[in-house]
Amino acid sequence: MNNSGKYLQSRLSNISRILPRIAVAATLLTGSGTILLSGSDAALAEAPPGGRIGYVLTNRMYAVYETDESVQCPDGLNLGPRELFAKRFPDDGTKRTVVETQLKLEGENWHSNAEENLVAPYREPQGNISYGLNLDGQTGPNDFQSPDGEDGIDNQFYRVVGCTNNYMKAGSLRHFVNVFMVQYNSNRWVFELTGVDDLTNDDEVTLTTYRGRDPLLADATGEGYIPGGTQRIDMRWGKEFIMQIQGKIVDGILTTEPIEHIKVPASSTFNTNGYESYLGLRFQLALTPKAAKGTMAGFMDIDKFRHWRNTTWSTHHQSYGQESASSMYSALHRHADGYPDAVTGQNTAISMAQEVTFVQTYIMHPSEKTNQVAAASLN
Amino acid sequence: MHLFVITLVRRTMVYLLVAATLVGCSESGPAEPETQGAQPRMRLVTTDQYVNTLMYVFGSSVHTQGEFSPAERTEGLLANGAAVAGVSASLLEQFQRTAASVAAQVVDEGHRHYLIPCKPASEDAADNVCATEFLSKTGRLLFGRALNDAEITAYVASAETAAESLEDFYRGLATALEGMLISPDFLFVLENAEPDPRTPGKLRLDAYSVASRLSYFFWNASPDAELLDAAESGELQTEDGLARAVDRMLASPRLDSGMRAFFDDMFAFDDFNTLSKDPLIYPTFTSVTAVAAREQTLRTVINHLINNEEDYRDLFTTRSTFISPELAVLYDMPAPSGWTPYTFPPDSLRAGLLTHVSFLALHAHPGRSSPTLRGKALRELLLCQHVPPPPPDVDFSVIMDANAHYPTQRERVAAHLENPSCAGCHRVTDPTGLSLENFNGEGRVRLRENNVLIDATGDLDGVKFENVVGLGQALRNNTALPACLVQRLYSYGSGGPTGAQDNQLLEYFNERFAAGGYRLPNLLRTIGLSESFSRVKDGWSPAPMEPEPDVDNSPEQHIASNTHNAEPTVQSVEGVKK
Repeated sequence: MNNSGKYLQSRLSNISRILPRIAVAATLLTGSGTILLSGSDAALAEAPPGGRIGYVLTNRMYAVYETDESVQCPDGLNLGPRELFAKRFPDDGTKRTVVETQLKLEGENWHSNAEENLVAPYREPQGNISYGLNLDGQTGPNDFQSPDGEDGIDNQFYRVVGCTNNYMKAGSLRHFVNVFMVQYNSNRWVFELTGVDDLTNDDEVTLTTYRGRDPLLADATGEGYIPGGTQRIDMRWGKEFIMQIQGKIVDGILTTEPIEHIKVPASSTFNTNGYESYLGLRFQLALTPKAAKGTMAGFMDIDKFRHWRNTTWSTHHQSYGQESASSMYSALHRHADGYPDAVTGQNTAISMAQEVTFVQTYIMHPSEKTNQVAAASLN
Repeated sequence: MHLFVITLVRRTMVYLLVAATLVGCSESGPAEPETQGAQPRMRLVTTDQYVNTLMYVFGSSVHTQGEFSPAERTEGLLANGAAVAGVSASLLEQFQRTAASVAAQVVDEGHRHYLIPCKPASEDAADNVCATEFLSKTGRLLFGRALNDAEITAYVASAETAAESLEDFYRGLATALEGMLISPDFLFVLENAEPDPRTPGKLRLDAYSVASRLSYFFWNASPDAELLDAAESGELQTEDGLARAVDRMLASPRLDSGMRAFFDDMFAFDDFNTLSKDPLIYPTFTSVTAVAAREQTLRTVINHLINNEEDYRDLFTTRSTFISPELAVLYDMPAPSGWTPYTFPPDSLRAGLLTHVSFLALHAHPGRSSPTLRGKALRELLLCQHVPPPPPDVDFSVIMDANAHYPTQRERVAAHLENPSCAGCHRVTDPTGLSLENFNGEGRVRLRENNVLIDATGDLDGVKFENVVGLGQALRNNTALPACLVQRLYSYGSGGPTGAQDNQLLEYFNERFAAGGYRLPNLLRTIGLSESFSRVKDGWSPAPMEPEPDVDNSPEQHIASNTHNAEPTVQSVEGVKK
C-alpha cells in the first residue's frame, strides 16, 4: 500500500452496510438419517448439515515472521520499560522523586516520547518477508512478500513489533492472550457459516460473527481443544460483536470480503471487559469439518490499539516482553498506512495480520432448543 | 421451594396410589414365603452414606472432603463387600481427618448459631448443660438411636475436658463431636435382633435396626428424626406404622439419592474412578466426559424409574435421556450448558442404557472396543449371570497381532471360538457384545471399521436381532433382566449376598414386581414391608465382646466401653459375622 489508504476507504464505502441478522433459521431434518459420521475429513466435500457450520476461536496471535534474529534484528530487540528506566534514570546518586520517574513514564505511555527514542533508538525488523494478506490488491514499495512468494502483503504492524520480544514466539503475549481467551468466557468469539452447499467449493457463503457464552472443551491431552462443543450466542451483552459478511470457498479455503468495522472480545487480566477493534478485517481460512485455520487481517486504529494495550496490559505485563508503549506509539504513527484523517491527511490506522485457529462448534441461537439443533445437525 | 412442594405432593399421591394398588394385589397374589431370615449385619458406611448423613444432619454448607477407600465388590455389589470390611489404620486416618474438619465447621461462627441449639454461659469455659443438649440430639441422629446415659456422660466429659483445656466451649464441643464422627457407632451400620412377639420362637431386627436398614436402603443415609421417633415409640414394629414409614420414605426427595447409590453400585460405576482412554486414540474422551457419562445414566435411571414411574425393562429401550455439552461431543450433537432432557431420534442407534456412553466406554479397552467385555458386563451386571475369567494359558497372540488381517472385531473374536478353552465363554458374551460394535471404544457411533461395514447382528439366549436396537429389545424382554434387579435390590437392602435359601423369596418378589408393572417403587415397597426384610435367622446371638485393654480411665475409654453394641471394635468386622 502506498500509505495513502484512500483506495481502501473508497472500497469499503461500496460495501453495503451490514446489519446483524440475529436469528439464522435452522433447517430441521427431523428424524432423517440419524447416524452420524464422526466429522471425518471424508465429509469435506459435502454440505454441512442444514448448510451451516460454526467455529469457535481457540488460538490467535499477531503474525510475526521470524528468521535468524541477527538478520531480522541486527541491533538486537527493543528495550522494555525496565531497561529504558535504567538508562534514563541511572543509579548515579541523583535524587529523583516518584513523580519524576515512575509516574512520568506511566504518563508517557499515552504520548509519543522523543526523549525515549534518543536513549534507545527503536529497532525494526529488516527484510521484506512477512505473513499477512494483500489488503488493497496492490503492490506498493513498503509492502512485504509472503514466505510463499506472494507480493503486496500489507502488514506494517510487523515493522512495529518485529523486534519486540512480547510479540515474537518467545514472548509472553502469545501465551497470555490465549490463556485469557480460554479462561474468560466473555472472550468467546465464534463465527457461523451459512448457506454452505459445499465446504470445499462454494461461490457464496455468509459469515456471521458472534460472542459465545460457553467454555472451550479441552482434549484428553490438555493441550488442544476438541471440536463438537456447543456455543450459545450472547444476545444480551454481545450484540456489538455480531457482524456479517459474504465470502467464498475455493479448494477448501474460505476468503471473505472485508468487514468495515468489527469488535473482537478481548478481555485481559481479571476479566476486564475489553475488546479489540479492527477496520476492514477479512478472513482467509482453510476449512475442514473440524477446524478453520489461517489468517485474519485488516487495519487497527492506532489510538484505539494504544488505548486497548494500556488499559488491559499494564506496564508490569508489558515489561515481561520488553514492550514500551510510548516507543511503540511513535513507531505506529511512522508506519500507519490506512484510513487517512479527513483533515490532516495523516493515516490513522495500520495494517496487521493475525494467525488464528478455530475448532468446529455447534451454535445455538436463543430461539433454538437442543432437540431442534441436534436434529438439524444430523445428516 | 415451590417445585419441591409440588414434587413432594405428587410423589406422596403416587405412593398412596401404589400402596392402594399393592393392598389389592396382596389380597389376590401369592403370600410371602416363609424364610429363615438372615443374620443381623454390621456394615461399614460408604463415602456417600457418610456424606449424605452429615448433609442431612448439618446441612449442605458443612463440607466433607475426600473419598474413603472403597469396599471390595462382592457378588455384584460393593454393598456386599462393605458387610465384610474392616477399617485399616489409613482408612481410620481418613475418617479422622474428615471428622475433624466437619466438627470444626459445625462449631464455627458461621454455623454454631443454628446448628447448636443453645448458647453456653461463657464461650471461654465448659457448659455441660448446653453440651448435653447438643451432643444428645446430634448423637441420636448420627448413631441412629438415642444415646444411653453413660454415653452422653462420656461425650459431655470429653467436651468439658477439652473446653477447660482450650478455654473455649465450642472447640471443646468440636472435640467431642469429632469423637462421635469416628466412633464405630457412626462408621458402622449396626443391627441387632430381638424376639418376635408376633411369631414366638423367631427373631426379628429390633426397631432401631429396622429404621437403619430402611434408611440406608431407601436414602443411603442414617434415619431421620421422624423415623427414629417411629422406632422409639414402637410404631415401626407394627404393620401400619411400618407402612406409613415406608410410604413416607418413598415419597421423600431423599429417595433419589438412595436409588442413585444403588444403581451406581449395581452398574459398577465405581470403575469410572479408574477409567482412562488413550488420549491419542480418543482425544475427545476426558475425565470430564467420564463424569458426565456416569451422570447421564444415573439421571436417566432416576427420571425413568422414580420421577416417571416407568417400567424398569424399558430403561433398555428408551430413547429419552439427558445431555450435557461435554457429553454431547461424543454423541455428535449440540447441548447447552447444564443438563437438558433429550430424546434420540426414532431411527438412531441410540436406544436404552446399553447405548449410553457410560456402558460403552466403561466396558471397552483404553484404545478399542471390546465385544467380550461388553457382553460380559451385560451378562453379569444386568442379568446376574457369572462369566468365568479367561483360562490362565489363554493365547492372545492372534487377537493382538497387528499384522493379522481381521478388518472388524467380529473376525478377531471369532478366533476365540477356534480354541475350545475360550469358546465356551465367548459364545455367551460375544453374540451380544458384537451388536454393540456400532460404537467405538469411547462410545461414539461408527458404521465401519477399517472401511468395512460392521455386521452388528447378534443373539441373546436364542433371540436374534439385526443391531443394538434389537439387542435392547431382546434384553428388555429377557426374564432374567427384572429378576436380576430384584436379586440385587434385595441383596443391597438386606445387606448381604443372597443364596439358594432365598430363591423362593426372590421368586415371590419377582411375581410382585411383574404384577406391579415392573415399577421400582412398587418393588421397594414390597421388599421394605416384607417379613423377610427384618427376619433374623434362628439361633443368632451377638458375637462375644472382645476384652478391652485396660489402658487408662479417660473419657475416651468410657466412650469406647459404653457404646450401644458389644461388637463395634474398629479392627475387624468379619468376626462379627461368623
